[in-house]
Amino acid sequence: MDRNNIIKWLKFPGEMGQKYSLHALYFCTGCGIIEIPPTITTRWDAERFGVIPVSTPRQANLFLITGYVSVKTLRYIIRSYEQMPEPKYTVGFGSCPVNGGMYWDSYNTIKHLDKYIPVDGWIAGCMPRPEAVFVAVTHLWTLIDKGMANGYKKYREEYKQYRANQEQILGELEWPFLF
Amino acid sequence: MDNNITLLSEDLASSFDDIKIVFTDQRMIIMNCRKDSVISLLSYLKNLRYDHLALISCVDRIKENAFELIYILSAYTEDVVKGGINLIVKTELIRDKAEMDTVISVFENAEPYERELHELFGVYFKGHPRLTRLLLDREYPVPPFRKDFDTRKYVRDIFDNVPSVEVKKLKNERT
Repeated sequence: MDRNNIIKWLKFPGEMGQKYSLHALYFCTGCGIIEIPPTITTRWDAERFGVIPVSTPRQANLFLITGYVSVKTLRYIIRSYEQMPEPKYTVGFGSCPVNGGMYWDSYNTIKHLDKYIPVDGWIAGCMPRPEAVFVAVTHLWTLIDKGMANGYKKYREEYKQYRANQEQILGELEWPFLF
Repeated sequence: MDNNITLLSEDLASSFDDIKIVFTDQRMIIMNCRKDSVISLLSYLKNLRYDHLALISCVDRIKENAFELIYILSAYTEDVVKGGINLIVKTELIRDKAEMDTVISVFENAEPYERELHELFGVYFKGHPRLTRLLLDREYPVPPFRKDFDTRKYVRDIFDNVPSVEVKKLKNERT
């Protein structure tokens, strides 16, 4: 550790603790989930970066949205995202959350995930390699250091706009306004 | 298995008078029949030995103004790899008024296939216990697998109209 890091540890110790142990929610969203088991098992080990999968959103920190998001899946992504405790980070994995990807003219997938949940970073590829996931995790650390990974704060402030977009696509939502 | 196929063809030609065998191969026999005689034909084939309904599918032939329903049957006692054959039964429905009797009385596992075809093509099956949505999440103006459903226009109207979220500058705790 060099001297920069020592000052950071003393100033924001909670943040350094968060960033080196991101618990990823194991929500198998779309076809991109096929790249997650190689990433977290021993060959391309993700635990050296502190990333391990957990099964419930109540214990998770990082939400990887792998692959295309159909309208049915979006309802449950929003529910899982809202159950995660703060601070939480979202990463769009693959080219389908970015702008629709291969399903750009499909009648059943949403094209820009950024309009419904706040997303902190994107990983390009179809599917990205495991090394790309690790590069993304290190970029996320830099963002957390600078204080720029604040998707959850955006969600809190702009909840009306997000909720309006969600209701425009999904219709009536069963849960009341959160904030 | 040519013997088998010719025997079957003659058998069918003698029992039913409105079946046309259109294509035979070493692996399949495709036959056309009218919409009203589908149930009797399927139950005859089921009693023979073809009691596995593998799939019910549909093709949208918009130029002839028809839907073509396809039933694929195979036999449990014969494996296709070892020389068994698949039987394919095709019927035609009028496209503007696509209605058909359900084959659940013959094959009980036709229920989800017919539900899927109702949702995606708009074919109504008379006598089906539960014709509700199976795969999709919403109702569409035109059933989405039909050839006159404009997907690009649908995407432009519904999904591209959602506005991006504008963010006011958040207070950064560091600066």
